[in-house]
Amino acid sequence: MNNSELDALLKKARTPEPPEEFWEEFPQQVTRGLNRARTENFRPRQNWFPQLAWGFATAICILAAFAVGHWRGRMEAKASSDVLADATMVRETLAMFPNQVRAIVQDEHGLNLVLSDNADVPASPPIYVSIYDGKHRSSLVTFSGQEIQIAGQKLTVLSDAQGGIILMGNDFAWSSRDPAYAKNDLKIQAKNLGQATM
Amino acid sequence: MARMAQPDEPNWIQNSLAGDTEAYAAIVKEHQKMVHAVAFRMTGSLADAEDLTQETFLRAFRQIDSFRGESKFSTWLCQIAVNLGLNWCARENRRDDIHSEWAADAISENDSRGGFPDELSRRVQNALDKLPAKQRAAIVLTIYENQTHAEAAKTLNCTEATVSWRVFTARQKLKRLLKGISHEQF
Repeated sequence: MNNSELDALLKKARTPEPPEEFWEEFPQQVTRGLNRARTENFRPRQNWFPQLAWGFATAICILAAFAVGHWRGRMEAKASSDVLADATMVRETLAMFPNQVRAIVQDEHGLNLVLSDNADVPASPPIYVSIYDGKHRSSLVTFSGQEIQIAGQKLTVLSDAQGGIILMGNDFAWSSRDPAYAKNDLKIQAKNLGQATM
Repeated sequence: MARMAQPDEPNWIQNSLAGDTEAYAAIVKEHQKMVHAVAFRMTGSLADAEDLTQETFLRAFRQIDSFRGESKFSTWLCQIAVNLGLNWCARENRRDDIHSEWAADAISENDSRGGFPDELSRRVQNALDKLPAKQRAAIVLTIYENQTHAEAAKTLNCTEATVSWRVFTARQKLKRLLKGISHEQF
């Protein structure tokens, strides 16, 4: 059999065909398929809904997280600078632990309460102290005569009769009357919070 | 198989591009038997050929904006049908690998179901079914659809030399398989 004979043989072979009704119906079957596909193409809008909802929910979560973060940031910033100066907060804390609070310390680890085991802390006007060691700012509210660990320093906080404040460290001393007198790398502020917090 | 393009076909295509499914139904009516024949030669199954024909027209409608008019619309349709047929063959081969026993039963069932207009047609299709899919596609395009090797190469996304080689190999095999058949006897 040569190529021409083979080709002729192949071309003579016919394929089975569906009945004529099939051909009459087939174009409509295709258009129905197309219309169905179009409808399905619209469905993705509905199918998109859960994704959109998730998207919105995610966006709201992100916004909420941002807002909370922002609020916390502000609160922390406020805490680092203002909380210990907040007379109400100090007063309420002292009221919760009468004669037990040795110090309320605010440093890079947060707000800490240093309590005495017994109610033996003498009642006196609270003293606010802030120390900046070049990296971190730590502040505390304490009372005259208390020995406190702050900013890597062990300090004794004293109040003199004129309301001045003296800090005694292991290797330095500082007085609110002579604020420059301290270790060179420490910046210290202190003030007597007076009766307002009592 | 050279076909005269229907004079209204350009309008149908234009309207189909605008989403007119009724115009597209006219195109389907015009080409459905040709596409079905291609699909049947690729699959050897009436049921699969029907599915493949429908899939070809659905696919063609979705891609109709890619028809540039560089070839006849029927050639473009045939290209889609053959490629869908090749995909079908690949799927079937994978399935046959997994369920070879079942596949053998399915083929014999298909054989016995008949539907062929004559014995020659049945034997030729059985011979085509024994060709590897790519060789079968080359035969369908070049012998049944009268495409040049260059056109077939474009359809099959291969070189003209590859098409020529596939046609040559397929012919050798078909001659062996159809040996002893003289078309005068049918």
